[in-house]
Amino acid sequence: MFRKVMATSVLLMCSLLLITGSASTAEGNFRIATVVKVDGIAWFDRMRVGVDEYAKETGHDLWMVGPAKADAAEQVQIIEDLIAQGVDALCIVPFSVEALEPVLKKARDAGIIVIVHEASTQQNADLIIEAFDNHAYGANIMKQLGEHMGGEGGYLCTVGSLTSKSQNEWIDGAIAYQKEHFPNMYEVAPRIETYDDATIDYQKIKEALVAHKDLKGVCGGPMPTSAGAGLAIEERGLQGKVFFVGTGLPSIAGQYLENGAIQAIQFWDPAIAGKVMNKIAIAFLEGKQDIVKDQADLGFPGFESIRQDPEKKNLFYGAGWVVVTKENVDEYNF
Amino acid sequence: MNTLSKNRLFQRNEFWLLCLLIVLSLTVGAVNGAFWSANNLFSLFKSTIVTGIFALGVFLVIVSGGIDISFPAFAVFSFYITVKFLLSIKYTGTILLPFLMSMTFGACLGLVNALLLSSFQLAPLIVTLGTGSAVTGFLRAFVGTATLSNLPQPLIDFSRWNIYKKTLADGSIVSFSGAFLILLVLAILIHVMMKRTTLGRGIYAIGGDEVAAKRVGFNVKRLRLFVYSFTGALAGIAGIIHCSLIRLANPRDLEGAEMEVIAAVVLGGASLTGGKGSVAGTLLGVALIVLIKGSLILVGVPSDWQKVVIGLVLITATGLTAWRSRRSDEGGRA
Amino acid sequence: MSKTLIKLTDIDKSFGAASVLRKVSLQLDEGEIHCLAGENGSGKSTLIKIISGVYRHDAGRIELGGRHYPTLRPIDAIREGVQVIYQDFSLFPNLTVAENLALSDQVESGRAWVSWQRVEAIARESLALIGVDMDTSRLVEELPVSGKQLVAIARAVYCNARVIIMDEPTTTLTDREIASLFALIRRLKERGIATLFVSHKMREMLDITERITILRNGEKVAEGRTEDFDEAGITRAMTGRDIRSDRYVWNGVRSDPVLELRDFTRTGDFQGLNLSLYKGEIVGITGLLGSGRTELAETLFGLRNTRERPGGEKNSGKILRNGREIKVRSVSDAIAEGIAYVPEDRLTEGIFAEQPIERNLFANSYPRFKNALGLLDRAKLRELSSALIRAYNVVASNLKLPIRTLSGGNQQKVMLARWISTGAEVLLLNGPTVGVDVGARFEIYRKLREIAAGGVGILLFSDELQELISNCNRIFVINRGRFTHELDTGALQEDELSALLGLSLEEAIQ
Repeated sequence: MFRKVMATSVLLMCSLLLITGSASTAEGNFRIATVVKVDGIAWFDRMRVGVDEYAKETGHDLWMVGPAKADAAEQVQIIEDLIAQGVDALCIVPFSVEALEPVLKKARDAGIIVIVHEASTQQNADLIIEAFDNHAYGANIMKQLGEHMGGEGGYLCTVGSLTSKSQNEWIDGAIAYQKEHFPNMYEVAPRIETYDDATIDYQKIKEALVAHKDLKGVCGGPMPTSAGAGLAIEERGLQGKVFFVGTGLPSIAGQYLENGAIQAIQFWDPAIAGKVMNKIAIAFLEGKQDIVKDQADLGFPGFESIRQDPEKKNLFYGAGWVVVTKENVDEYNF
Repeated sequence: MNTLSKNRLFQRNEFWLLCLLIVLSLTVGAVNGAFWSANNLFSLFKSTIVTGIFALGVFLVIVSGGIDISFPAFAVFSFYITVKFLLSIKYTGTILLPFLMSMTFGACLGLVNALLLSSFQLAPLIVTLGTGSAVTGFLRAFVGTATLSNLPQPLIDFSRWNIYKKTLADGSIVSFSGAFLILLVLAILIHVMMKRTTLGRGIYAIGGDEVAAKRVGFNVKRLRLFVYSFTGALAGIAGIIHCSLIRLANPRDLEGAEMEVIAAVVLGGASLTGGKGSVAGTLLGVALIVLIKGSLILVGVPSDWQKVVIGLVLITATGLTAWRSRRSDEGGRA
Repeated sequence: MSKTLIKLTDIDKSFGAASVLRKVSLQLDEGEIHCLAGENGSGKSTLIKIISGVYRHDAGRIELGGRHYPTLRPIDAIREGVQVIYQDFSLFPNLTVAENLALSDQVESGRAWVSWQRVEAIARESLALIGVDMDTSRLVEELPVSGKQLVAIARAVYCNARVIIMDEPTTTLTDREIASLFALIRRLKERGIATLFVSHKMREMLDITERITILRNGEKVAEGRTEDFDEAGITRAMTGRDIRSDRYVWNGVRSDPVLELRDFTRTGDFQGLNLSLYKGEIVGITGLLGSGRTELAETLFGLRNTRERPGGEKNSGKILRNGREIKVRSVSDAIAEGIAYVPEDRLTEGIFAEQPIERNLFANSYPRFKNALGLLDRAKLRELSSALIRAYNVVASNLKLPIRTLSGGNQQKVMLARWISTGAEVLLLNGPTVGVDVGARFEIYRKLREIAAGGVGILLFSDELQELISNCNRIFVINRGRFTHELDTGALQEDELSALLGLSLEEAIQ
């Protein structure tokens, strides 16, 4: 009796595995997982839209996953599971570059293609594609902020956390641009941390406005600052006296663009980034990786002429940022 | 207390908290005179609203001898579902409905806490940890993860409700939020309940000695049901106010808020073992925390030091409270 | 003819297979002061719980206020005016005296609103009923034990108690407080309120009670008017044995003291103490509340910091062990110098209540059980535990059970065993038989004598005068921080000793 039960269970399990396994390897479809930093925020919800669209377009098995909390260990775990499942390629947006090195090496050793986004220093990757050069992104923000501020006055920068690499590089780029092009502007205080929380952005910027009477501009790193700063400026009726340019999404910051509390937001379409990553991964799997070279056109907006990094040969940059102001905010639905 | 002699005043925790609050304010004001500006003070009051309402609920729970760490999750769930629903019916009616809805959701969730506690005799910490996580998970998995930014108009109007508004000479606006009145009214209500009703005294009783309370005739089970549901309702109110004031319904908000609220309640003199505490003390505790967190930029504490400073001030404040109560215990054995 | 308030006839009670009460009868009349005596395990508490309706009786008849109750619920007992004052008093430590007194009325009356004036009025009335005055705005947790007890009694009386049952009420009270309590009980008697005392303090039983019922092993073995009993008779009935307490005689030599105090002073607690303790002595130290007695005991064990305190006189004087001066700045110093301490409040300061008996036995001597690998030699541990348990006659079925399952007397024996097994040469005991019943008490005294005979010097801090007289060969009286008398116990009588306690140094000299 016991043996009968065992035998049936084993049979059932094997058939289950076969069914799920075969669904993927039919017709030479590639199975590619896009692993993001954290699942459930607007940003990556948008990336999923892109990944799903591209899956329909190409017919390959593409999907996106991410930990419920931004946590390095959890991201590593997800990647381990995917390696075990035997995916063909991984597209990664790492939460922590260092924490992922070992597991990405493991993936590559197992023959899995690894394409990385938003982490220019990752070692264990077949190719890294950045939407843009971080310093250039930040510089572009400052360029607009400086123009609005008339080239003079005090400003304050925000980052989500002093340890988030890309955001800090944006701010570095912004400050460098300011020093070169707007010598009459200055930081009223070193960059402040706002933990990617709009309420904290709001409270800290309000406080900064009190503490520094000469605060004229806010340079926003993390996305929520656009909402927090916008609210603070609108409430105090400081439109035209205090300016904001920074990362943001039209759906979140739209109302403040429209009432003039903030001047411009900048972002890159995560959907496009998702598609680009997967396209590159598929190219590698088909053996066509040389389509990715300096000045190549990957067929997506912002990636029509990608730039290869002079020192690191597998690092490429697009110029994929988008600037949204009051004028064109209606064009976007996310 | 009913009879208050002069030297009893000096023994009271609330008195010393008030002194500490005044001393800290004077210190911050001395470093940066802008602290005393109407704008800054109104800002600080505004920052106490949501934390204060949460703290009133937690105060009740702690006095009853329990603890609750699920309230931020309940608040988020309540406001998010309310906003999502109102958006789907394109609601433009009175502000009362959103409040009622959010409050009711919160109360029901709180009721679940109470029922679980009485059925399973588990530690409140564990039960509320479980319900909080479950509700958060449910929200993200089944209700939604997107930040809703185009709130129903009544909520936006509520965020603009001020009981004092003045445009200064330089064109900037100074305003005192009307939502503060809600905190005030709730505080008075709860103060009266705790001091003048049998229900309130019953809560103190079960916190002091549950067995004795049973013997005296209190229905301990019903009292607990009330306490946790009421706290849930308060969380619902705090949630909808929070979401309205920041003009965003972000399901990832308020994560980790429980620590700060509990710290405020304990600072305010409520004993974690139950049976002690006052509304005044709780509000003072909240004020202290809001003051510290909201003055770091004014005083010029650099970003990387801010958490350290908050921690140090909290340790000192709680240390002072503990030292004072030890001094009064010492003495008197054969 | 006074009314019979409680009449129990042939009560039986078993818990599963264990029979706890067999054919026990008890009668309590209006205004009677009755004592229910018996050792631990005799069934006293069970009987009380049956009278108050908490437990159901298996057989027999219960009549309260003349009414027969085939099943008695707690609410029935309360309605008949049976009020139990529990050991923990069932008060709310976080609320004021006034509120504690008024709360049950508040709840019972079903009022939603609290009128603080009414609360005050009820409080004043309750206290007036028992003829006591106190500050009703104080929190109950700030009161001394005697105060809490008064509040509990006042509350019971206000709630129309006709019978007040008190469980070991005098254990933590001073003599003066006991006298007040007895005066109160007599006042209650005049109002027709009966008191049922559960106690094993001989002195008080004989002093205050009018009738006594003695239980042993679940059966009533004696009953009658208190004046017909004497101490020996009660003890014999309670324990079934004849226990004689002959005085402790010491025949040692007065040289090489194991412990010496020379001009020992600690600002604010005691000054200029001189004492020599010789091997085999049991020296008693006694004094009233606040005399410095406990402070001395704790200082000798390093529990009180002997560093200089700012602004005061210098702490001075010497402690010598076997002629060598030592400094006791911490408990580890004390233990290293061979000093052991069995504290007064064993529940919070002595035993590790939730830990197994075995662990409690060896809490301070684990290093002795290291085997070659540096790990615990469990076999050796078990062997020694059993040996000690037998030697100290501790009644324990399973050494792995938490120590709190043992009776007070057995717990105390474990404490003694623990300390003596560390090889201490000086043993300090503070109130060692508080809350310990008569049988266990005498075993402890016997053990102490054995320990002394083994060469240990014992300092016995206590306020039970009879205990001191019987078990010490010398007694020091300490008052306001100074030794006022040193007495040989030879022919000393209790009232002589009692008279000396209240005297100051000046009075004593005269």
